[in-house]
Amino acid sequence: MSDDQRVLHVGIDLGTSRSSIAASNKERHVVQSYVGWPADMVARKVLKKTVLVGDEALENRPMLDLHRPLEEGLIKTGSTRDEEAVGELLLHLLRLAGAEKGNGSPPVRAVVGVPAKALRVNKQSLRDAVAPLVDSVMIVSEPFAVAYGLDALLHAMIIDVGAGTADYCVMRGRIPTEEDQRTLTTAGDWVDEQLAGLIQEAYPEADFTIHMVREWKERYSFVGESKDRIKVSAPVDGRPTELDITDQMRAACEALLPPMIETMVDLLSRVDPDYQDRVRNNVILSGGTALIKGLGARLQSELGEIGGGRVKVVKDPIFVGADGGLSIARDASDEEWEKLVRS
Amino acid sequence: MTFQERRIKRRLLRELVDENVDLISGGSGRPGRRRPGRLARVARMALLVATPLALVASTLVISGAVLPGFSSAHGRVGELGTEPSADVLERPAQGAKAPGPEPATADTAPDEADLLAAFTTPEPIDASVFPLGVRRIVLDPGHGGENLGTKTPRGLEEKFLTLDITHRVEQALVERGFEVLLTRQGDDSVTLQERAQLANDERADIFVSVHVNWLVGSRESGIETYYLGPTDDPFLTSLAARENRESGHTLAELREILDGIYAGVRHDKSQELAASIQRSMVRSLRKVNRAVRDRGVKTAPFLVLVDTKMPAVLAEVAALSNEAEAEMLEKPLYRDYIADSLAAGILAYAEALGQPPELPAPEPRATSIAAVEAP
Repeated sequence: MSDDQRVLHVGIDLGTSRSSIAASNKERHVVQSYVGWPADMVARKVLKKTVLVGDEALENRPMLDLHRPLEEGLIKTGSTRDEEAVGELLLHLLRLAGAEKGNGSPPVRAVVGVPAKALRVNKQSLRDAVAPLVDSVMIVSEPFAVAYGLDALLHAMIIDVGAGTADYCVMRGRIPTEEDQRTLTTAGDWVDEQLAGLIQEAYPEADFTIHMVREWKERYSFVGESKDRIKVSAPVDGRPTELDITDQMRAACEALLPPMIETMVDLLSRVDPDYQDRVRNNVILSGGTALIKGLGARLQSELGEIGGGRVKVVKDPIFVGADGGLSIARDASDEEWEKLVRS
Repeated sequence: MTFQERRIKRRLLRELVDENVDLISGGSGRPGRRRPGRLARVARMALLVATPLALVASTLVISGAVLPGFSSAHGRVGELGTEPSADVLERPAQGAKAPGPEPATADTAPDEADLLAAFTTPEPIDASVFPLGVRRIVLDPGHGGENLGTKTPRGLEEKFLTLDITHRVEQALVERGFEVLLTRQGDDSVTLQERAQLANDERADIFVSVHVNWLVGSRESGIETYYLGPTDDPFLTSLAARENRESGHTLAELREILDGIYAGVRHDKSQELAASIQRSMVRSLRKVNRAVRDRGVKTAPFLVLVDTKMPAVLAEVAALSNEAEAEMLEKPLYRDYIADSLAAGILAYAEALGQPPELPAPEPRATSIAAVEAP
């Protein structure tokens, strides 16, 4: 075990919508996965910065060449700007955690999560983006990092639903293989699109953006019954107007359920029958989309109709991936980290 | 944490580091590359032999429907659970010490090396060594002739849909400069072996087989893309058996073919191609059909993918068993959308690989087995 004062360990979870970092110096930060460069000289003068990241980038987006460099949890390929944006996002996270290389911080060992479906080229490209910024890096599957941090490595199913992807992973006490994992794009961004479509149908004159829809979802999302009606404000013909979007919100969020159940059951069916019951009763839901009110309980109820089960919602779904990466970083020995540097 | 859980964590950390070292040095970076124990190797050997034997044997008894007795992977009815409540899970307390280093496990005994040599999976080759690109594509419209595939009560046949969609994909790809061959041009019976043979003889760069799914449960729907690999899912095994009915192979040939099929560049590239097609289709078709479900990229032992020597996938572009999807499939415009999105997935894969060196213009040739063999 390394002395944390000699070395700084970090776990990083790069997400399509939000990216988080957890460090061994107790720093934990989450930022929106947006990076923007001032669009012209005037914008540069107003903003007084050469690059903006996170909420700051989103708030000033009219003045920026704005990028959301991750798609379905992976670095967008084919665009130099998006690759640069990932570098800026990583640097921003490391700075926030006091882990910027050569800026007074001790050597940094980073564990970075990728979606379950990531191919070798995706892992390589992420490695290439992170490696110059830290002293040593390990790439891991995100649901595996979640499972590791929660000590749920055996007879468990992790469902990590973010914005870009929903990762499903059965933990069998070994590194998950292709057969143990599934990645769907039916996740937070998909819910946003459904919700936007439904609101547009109900209120064709309303004027709103996907950013507004995302904010409404993050504030009011639910499945099942809602005690109060959900009312939001959006311009209609230039005038702020109150819109009741309760039914639309319910429909958009509940649309997640069929593919989730189907994928859960599909993966469960591949588990050795001796252990299916254990896995079924140890389903762990994490990721930003897990914050949808009532989602965990509803999944458990749906599981109940097809043999029973237990779904646990992680207490801190935003940081659970980064925390898992941090656990891995800390638990790996000096010799193991050395192997990565020497390779 | 129990002693067993600490041991598991320790072992997984070692494997994770090895996987990352593999990734840095240009290996596959795939999980599970650590050499399994003896019992696991023998079981794997048995599975490699037993699976194709079971599939071929099943082609003698299957008459078309899903094997009776198999419960769907997508719906088992059990008793109702208790009042639902989601537990909130807390992370274990920070600061727990990592387990100390474990004694190294024993290496494989030397006397097992010869026995296992013939069955050891070959080390994969790094594809970046070869200037790969995509120029020539073989498209395979599933079924045909006597082999209808699936069929709706209203008479819409899978073999018609696969041919129609494949022709549209062909047009889209030819317009983009690819050379495209089809394994059948019309309503012809072509065995799985013949389809793969065409692709191999023509040295296709990729092989894409187009099918329409039939899922258990009329509410099930969506798109899924397969590449070659093992599965222990009974539903997928029966699906593969149904599709493998016209394999054209003898039992003796299968084992020879299966040696080494899961290793190598072809596996990785097939996976990439499957992912690219799946991603493109889901994203594009959701714009016109919000109900489209992403059923994911999967592996299954489809024989039409076994015989091919290039990256190969099988795309189930919709579910004919779903009434709403069947209605959509009756519309030529929707089939156009499917074709365009599939072509876009192939194009994205090709662009990721980069363009191959310029080749001389090919000699004119017949473009399908049926055209060659027609009297």
